[in-house]
This record gives sequence, C-alpha cells and structure tokens, in this order.
Amino acid sequence: MIEFDLLRTGAARPAAGADDLRRDLELDKIVAAASGGDELVAEVWREVLLLADASPDSISYRQDAVRDALRNRDAVLGLYRIANETVDAVRRRVFLFRPHDPAVVVHEAVNGLEVMVASLRDVLAVLKSTAFSSEAFRQMSKSVLDNINDEFLASAQELVKVLRFENGVQFSVRIGELNSLEDPVLLVPRKGESNILSKVLRRDEYVYRLDPRDEAGAYILDDIRKWVLANAASTIFKAFKHLDSFFQDLRRQLAFYVGAINLSGYFEKLGLPAAYPRLSKGALKFSGMHCLSLSISAGSRPVPYDLDVKAEGGFAVVVTGANRGGKTTFLKAVGQSLVLARAGLFVPADEFALPSTGAVYTHFPRREDRTLSYGKFEEEVKRLSAIVEGLRRGDYVLMDETFSSTNQVEASVVAEEVIAALVDSGVNVFYVTFLQDFLNRFLDRYRERAVLLVPEVRQDGTRTFRLVRGKPTPGYAIDIWRKYMAA
Amino acid sequence: MEYLSILGGRGRRIDEQIAHDLRIHELLGDIFGKRNDDFLRSLYLEQLDNEEVAVFRLNVFRDLLKGEVLDAVAEFVEHVNKAARILETEKDAYEEHRIGMHVDAALIYTEAVETAWSRLRGLPIESEGLASFTRYLGEVAGSEKFRELGRRAREAAEARDQIKIRVWIEGDRIRVTREEHGEDLSALVDSLFSRFKGDGQGAEVKYIKTTGDASHIHAAILRGAFKMYRTQYDILRRFSEDFPSFIDGGIASFAKEAEFYLIYINYMKSLEQMGYRFTIPSFTDGGIYVRKFYNLLLAKRGSAVPNDIQTDGSRRIFVITGMNSGGKTTFATSFGQIAFLSKLGLPVPAVEAKIPFFSSIMTAYPVEEDVEESLSRLELDVARAKAIIERADSRSLVITNELFSNTTSDEGLLLTRLFFEELAKRGSYCLFVTFLHKAADLDGVITLVAQPSPEDPERPSYVIAPGRPPAEYMAARIARRYQLTYGKIREVVK
Repeated sequence: MIEFDLLRTGAARPAAGADDLRRDLELDKIVAAASGGDELVAEVWREVLLLADASPDSISYRQDAVRDALRNRDAVLGLYRIANETVDAVRRRVFLFRPHDPAVVVHEAVNGLEVMVASLRDVLAVLKSTAFSSEAFRQMSKSVLDNINDEFLASAQELVKVLRFENGVQFSVRIGELNSLEDPVLLVPRKGESNILSKVLRRDEYVYRLDPRDEAGAYILDDIRKWVLANAASTIFKAFKHLDSFFQDLRRQLAFYVGAINLSGYFEKLGLPAAYPRLSKGALKFSGMHCLSLSISAGSRPVPYDLDVKAEGGFAVVVTGANRGGKTTFLKAVGQSLVLARAGLFVPADEFALPSTGAVYTHFPRREDRTLSYGKFEEEVKRLSAIVEGLRRGDYVLMDETFSSTNQVEASVVAEEVIAALVDSGVNVFYVTFLQDFLNRFLDRYRERAVLLVPEVRQDGTRTFRLVRGKPTPGYAIDIWRKYMAA
Repeated sequence: MEYLSILGGRGRRIDEQIAHDLRIHELLGDIFGKRNDDFLRSLYLEQLDNEEVAVFRLNVFRDLLKGEVLDAVAEFVEHVNKAARILETEKDAYEEHRIGMHVDAALIYTEAVETAWSRLRGLPIESEGLASFTRYLGEVAGSEKFRELGRRAREAAEARDQIKIRVWIEGDRIRVTREEHGEDLSALVDSLFSRFKGDGQGAEVKYIKTTGDASHIHAAILRGAFKMYRTQYDILRRFSEDFPSFIDGGIASFAKEAEFYLIYINYMKSLEQMGYRFTIPSFTDGGIYVRKFYNLLLAKRGSAVPNDIQTDGSRRIFVITGMNSGGKTTFATSFGQIAFLSKLGLPVPAVEAKIPFFSSIMTAYPVEEDVEESLSRLELDVARAKAIIERADSRSLVITNELFSNTTSDEGLLLTRLFFEELAKRGSYCLFVTFLHKAADLDGVITLVAQPSPEDPERPSYVIAPGRPPAEYMAARIARRYQLTYGKIREVVK
C-alpha cells in the first residue's frame, strides 16, 4: 500500500485558544506571505502553525524536509503542480450529481479514474528523476515507486475500458426468499457465446426481449441494472476515492513545503536572517530575532531582539516600561518564532534555541477601553483559566497586560500568585505588565528564574526600541498615570 | 378443541370528553407510536365493566412479564403475521414469484408454530388465557397435516437454493444461462486499486430499488432460471398446488388479539429503560393505596415526579391545593389514567397499586368552548356537577379541575361543600383540584398540597403531599422581592 506522511503532524489537533493565537500573533500575515494567495497552502499552514502537539522528533523531521524541499524546489513545485492539475481535472470531469444512482456513480468515477491513472505516469517520471535526501521525501518517493510500475498502469487502463460497459452488464444471481433475485455479482463480461447449436436447442439459454412499447419494463430493467451495479459502484467509487485521496494527500502535504519555499524567497527579499531552531535543554537563547509580521507589514527589517537566559523548567520573562516601547511587538516576535519553530520552519533570527517544544498560548487584551470594572476582570480571569486548564509543563504563555482591568494592588496579588504558580509548574511565561507591586515582589522572589526587560533608553534620552535587561525600580507611576490619562 | 379468546371479553367505549380530559389519546399515541391498527385502538378505548375480565387480562400480563413467555409469544405473533402478509400479497403476484412466496410463508408459519409450542409447554404458565392457548397450539402442532406441510416446504426451499444463473442485460435484451466459473469484476477493481490508501469512507452507494422484486421483468428472469432448472421448478410448483392454504383459524385470531398485550409491554419497556416502574394493580373493596405513581406522558418526555395517594376508604374526597404550576392537575390526571388503565386490565405506572375496580370515571376540567350563547361558566360548572352526581355511585371516581372557580370564593366554597356532601352520600371517590384553599378545611376531606422545592421556595417540587395549604401566596412573595411591601413603599414615597 502507498503510504507517506511528509508532515508527521499526528492527529493535527488545533491548539486550545488557536483563534486567539492566530489573531494575537498576526499569523495571518505570515500565512499570506507563505501562501502567495494559494488557499490550500494557507489552510495547511494555519493547521501546522496552530498545532497543539509538536514533538521534538516531528519538528526535526519537518526541518529536514524543509531543507530538502528548498534544495529540490523544482521537483517539489512540479509534483505540487501535477497534483493540483489532477485534482482540478477530476473536479471538472466528475459530477456526482446523483450519489445514489449507481450508473451515474460508476460513469463519473470511471471518468475520474481515467484522468488520475494518466497523471500517475507524470508523478512517476518526477520521482524517478529526483534524489531526495530527507526521510520524509525519500520514504514518500519509495512507497509510490514500490507500488506503481508500468504494468500496473497498463492493467489500470485496461480495466477502465471494461468499466465503460459498452456491451451491457453481466452478473450472476440467486433466487432467495419470496423468489426475489438476490446476491447479484457483477461479472467480468464474456464475449457473445451465441453459437448456432445452443440457439437451435434453446436449452442452454433463455432470451427475453423487451417489447418496444413496454416503457414500464424498460424502467424496471434499468432499475435492475442499477441494482446490480450498486455493489460494484461502491467498490469502483472506493477505488476512485482512494486514488483521489492519494492526489489530495500529496498536494496537501506538498503545500506546506511550497509555502516554505515561498517564505524563504520572502526572507531573501527582505534580507531577513533564517535560522533553524534547535532544542537546547535549560536555555532560551536568541539573537537578532525579528518580528516577522511587522517585517511583512513594513516591508523591511525591524528592530532585532536578543535574549539569553537559563530556563531550567519554567521561567518568566517580564517586560515593562513606557508605552510604544515595542513590548507587544516583542511578545509577537517571540510567539511567532516559537510557532514557526514548532512547525519545523526556519525563523527570522541569527540564532534560536528553545528549551522545550510546548504549545504556545496568548492572553492579550481584548478591548481597547481601559476603564476598571469587575465584570471585565472576571472576563479576563475566565479567559486565563480556560488557558490554564489545558496547560502542560514546557508550554509557553504570552501575556499582555493581564489583570490590568482592576486596581494595581489587588491585581498584583493575583498576578503574583498566578505567575509564580505557572513558573513553578514548569511553564514559560512572557508577561508584559505595569503592575508595580508585582514587579517588585515577584522579581525579588524569582530572581533565579525570571528576568526583566525594559526599553533601551540611550544616555541622551532617545529610544532604540530594543529591549534590555532592567531592574525592578519603582517610578513608573507617571507611565501608569499617563496611561489612564490617555484612555 | 376450540380457540378461547386471549382477551377474556370486551368492554364499553369511554366517553370522548373524559378521554380528552385524561389525555387518553395522547397516551395511546405514545403506546401505539407509528402503528395504525383500528382494531387495537378500539380495544384500548373500551373500559371493562367486569372486574373478572380485567383480572383475566392482568393474569395474562403476569405470565408475559416473565421474560421467556413474552419472547415466545412475541416471536410467534410476529412470524404468524409475517406468513399471513406473504399469503395476502402472493394473490397478486406472478406465478414465478407466487410459488416461492408460498413456500416461504409455509416455512415461516410451521417454524413459528413448532417453536412456540416447544417453548411454551416447558414454561410455568399460570393464566387461564395462555394455558388454554398453549394446549390449543399443541393440538395444531401435533397434527399429521401440519407435519407434512413443514416437510414439503423445506424440500421446496432446498430445490430453490440450487439455482444460480448468469444474466446479461444488453439494451432491451435479457439473456439467462446457468452460471459457472464467473469472475467477480468488483474484486478485480479492488485488487488493483487497494494499494492506494484511504478508508473509502462515504463511498458506499446505497441503491434502493424503486420497482420492487416482483415485476414482469423479474418474472421473465425467473422464467429463464426455471427453464434452466426444470426439476427444481416442478418441486416448487407442486407445493403450492398441494397446500393452497394452511394458517389455522384459531392461531390467526390469537396473533391478532395478542397484540393487545405485546404493544403495551413494549411501551412499558421503553419507560422501564428510563428507570420508571409498572405494577399489576390489585382491586380492593374500598381502600386506595398507590405508591410512587407518575405521569406517563411526562415520563416519556423526560421527567415525572412520583407521588403517593392513600385512604382506607372511610374518607374518599381529596382536596388538592398549593402553588400554581405545582403539579396539582398532573397529579389528578395521572391518577385518572391509572384508574382508566386498570379498567382495561393493564399494568399501571406505579411501584404499588391497590385501588377499587371503579365502576366509572368522570371528569370536570375547564372547558374552552364559547360561553356566550349557552350557559354561563358558573352554570356550566353546576350542570357538570349535577351530571356527575346523577351517575355517581360508591365505585365512581370523580376528577375535577378548578370546578366552581368562576365565581367568588365564598360562593365557590359553598358550591364545593354542597358537591362534596352529595358525593359523600353516594360514597364516591373524588380528586378535587382547586385554588380555594378553604376547601381543604371542609369536613371529611383529605387535604393534599403541592409542595415548594426545598432549595428554592419560589419553585415547585411537583411533590403532592398531605398537609395544610401554604399561609402566604407566591404572588405576595414576589411583590416583596421587588420592594412592594407596605414598609418599603412608605420609606421610598416621601
């Protein structure tokens, strides 16, 4: 049997909170850049980027395949084109307008088989002339070549001809209860065996000719024909679907790599670095990392971020500082790179090492109005608790001003309890916050497992929009004051 | 030996207004489902006058509720009916079909009789009805004629199984030959394309023949088959000639009448699966003792709260009061249904039921018909009370719902007292649902009250229990919650 899996995404369960992730991290911008308008590429990318589960094995499997696809981009694009054209041709030639009329099903399915058997020849030609190096592509190529050869193609074409039933249908049948005909089995047709002798004796054969005026009889005969075809129709339709799903699977899986090829071109155009992330126990390290969605929007290379922390089983990166300091952009950059890394793709950085391959969650503010109310606080807490329900050790939670819908004092108490609990549970937290009590208490308690980042301000007071290590010093009251004044 | 009806006897049709008030037609709708059988439906609307017939039927139920007896009878009835249906349809069939249908009907029938006889005779049957039928069945099964029927039918079916033909349909021509060594085309397709993965989900083409199996074209194909298989054909044909009809008259009647029991047991089972229980009622000489009875219509639709009712017979008038929508009417109607079912000789929805064999059930529920031209509502109520009193005796059950509510409560109470006095004179039973709380204080009545939920006193529990009517009305409570009390209004309005 032909089996291949270029993606190894397992059951492809979407992550809990996938919708939030997609919106908060502006993943649609990245998907649009990768798909170049190809809806299938976009669909597969959304699926892979928002995967709930990504094991280190499956990530390196895809990484290798991405590298392979970039090396053999002509073959990958060629196979994708064949698969696409085949699927389109099938869509044009097969109309299952009456899915329970066996005659229609057989006729239409055979149309499809004809198209697809022909396309298999083209697939074979590409595979025979390409030397893939990754496990994913090598295995796919081998499985197809092991199962399909010229002999198969010849038999398949011959069978397609038989299934046109140009000389009527032949079937065996028994007489069952109530003398109804039962167990019809469609038979491989025998050529006309009406020899003179049997006709004369009229013993070996009984012939019934429908009266031309017998319209009811013609209708019944058609009904019988469909009844006989019904079982075979299921088998033929199944064959059609099998072959169809071969092309569907192929094009769907290739779509991911087509997107990678596209995005790679985009990186080159924008001059973005591309690093294949690596798993590095106990450390989170990146340098020269950019926010990809911002880069795509701006058409340029934005401010790079660096970080190097020990992250042994859960840590917190706390970000604070003046508004418009690029804090949310930083969260997006981290989230996007994590998501790309889990998909097995390259990320816009010089280097990227991550301590685990856990899932990514975002908790960003939902509405822009900044009035305080317990109703909104409840909404925030409810949303966060939904995230917490699905969290596992090694996951990443990106929080943007969580708990800011109530006063600083009580919010800090909650925040401290929540963040401490998450870190102690082995979850990695990125938290943008203005909560003074929290910053002081938490960073003091967790100085070994947390860092504080603040916007860089040069001696002369200008801002670089980079983030640098900071210390939790009080004095942001004016920022907070402004923040509420601005609201 | 003659067949003795399994129904024991027949009754009298229930008054249409009472059936309406007690929601009997809805109940029958649940019991019958989609089944449309006029004979059965009329049986279910016939209340028995004779307690002995009810007991006769309840005894049959007792036997049937032992699972094995039920299985044997249900299967037997199903198969006899099936055979009868085939014999009915074969009348219009082509000869090529008819000779086969006849054989199948005979096979089903003989097997049904043999199986039922061998099963029933080994089971402990106590009811007069089923014991008598089992003896009858034994006589039929033991007859020489019956055994010959079975032997010949099996022989014919075996002959038919030997036939296998190849049919070639090309244009308007059908060719039939004997079939040997054909090659399955689907298998070929499968072997070629199964190397492609996929579960083929949704590939199933489910074609339903629109022209049946018994047309002249099918007959023509059969004719071809019989021409190829002459010996087998002769065996089939001779069977029909030798046994033109074969279903015994008594067995046919039983199959029809036994449905009365089977359909109800099916209905019981559907509710028992949901955790509800049925019991076979026993008839008292005056007392009522029913434990955990419930409303069948509500049970079928999800939830019914069980209730008890009892009296030793010295007091027979129940006054039911309490919060609105608290289940008072449901309680009374459910009890009326129990009385009705017991008068059909049917098990009733309760854990235990001891009740009198009521001579009649009478109802007075609110009417929606126009009151402008005929009597006033109050007059109508009184007229209905009178009609009830006229017919009431010491075994009557009277169920009223908000009777005498179309006047002042003093007047209503007065009428109620008078009505009760008349009923008491006759010794009739009455369930009197009312919002006149003072009715509960009348002499010699049993007072039942719809209880509020223990968790939320503003919601009903649907439990109806002995007790005093509530001291405060629900409407007053709600008004207080919205600050509409004397004190609060005085505080706010300055």
